[in-house]
Amino acid sequence: MSKEKKMYEKVCEYLGCDINAEPCQELQHHLKECPQCEVYIDEIKNTVKLYQRADECEETPDSVSKKLFATLNLDQPDKEKTSD
Amino acid sequence: MENEEKIVERAQEGDQDALARLVNEYHDRIYHLGLSMLKQEQDAEDMLQETFLTLVEKVHQFKGNSSIYTWLYRIATNIALKKLKSKPRKYPHIPIDEPDFKKIHENETKEEMEFDFEKVNNYKFRKTLNQVLDELPPKYKTVFILRDLHNLSTRETAKILNLTESNTKVRLFRARNYLKEKLEDLKTEELMV
Repeated sequence: MSKEKKMYEKVCEYLGCDINAEPCQELQHHLKECPQCEVYIDEIKNTVKLYQRADECEETPDSVSKKLFATLNLDQPDKEKTSD
Repeated sequence: MENEEKIVERAQEGDQDALARLVNEYHDRIYHLGLSMLKQEQDAEDMLQETFLTLVEKVHQFKGNSSIYTWLYRIATNIALKKLKSKPRKYPHIPIDEPDFKKIHENETKEEMEFDFEKVNNYKFRKTLNQVLDELPPKYKTVFILRDLHNLSTRETAKILNLTESNTKVRLFRARNYLKEKLEDLKTEELMV
């Protein structure tokens, strides 16, 4: 397998895993010599971060929670009770 | 704090307080999952209710081979995927290709894309992000949502979707790459920064 193909697979493998994980040593070494790959990986990481931040802004409306507990015929525990 | 295993055991014995605690613990995440997958609030609410009705009805069948939240995610994801299937729509032709690394390496003059994270506070911008996510076929979108938005592990995601771990990784990488490419196009249209 050519060196380029091997590195290509390492980048793909890395970008299919935990985005916050450290790249393996071989990939770290490649990134030091290859700013284009470094930019590409950073852009993917920032894309994920952007979506994660946007997702945090969405809240479940109280009316939805209340309706759910009513449908299930269950009493909704209060926050103090559940954080015991 | 009572161990979740005990709460599940009590729920399996029909304890209403234990069931309520499980619903309370996980309903936010499941509603969010519904919103991300189905987009419409009413559909997300329907999915939420169906998921927890199934929990109440079938919790005694839970064998403990996985965590209760993986089990719940599996129920919820199946309901969402079924709903998507029942409303067939045409996805634009999306070439989910591997990135062209030769092109990446040759593009020495490319400037790094700028990201304005404050823009996520803007409702319209979030809507645009969601529209881009919604363009992804469900098999890619679901993996991205479970892995990156709900922080499930590769193993959990694979189990929920009945995939191999390596297939899960490939789908996640393709989804991430597609979203990045689309955001880059949006930036060109001056929607990003």
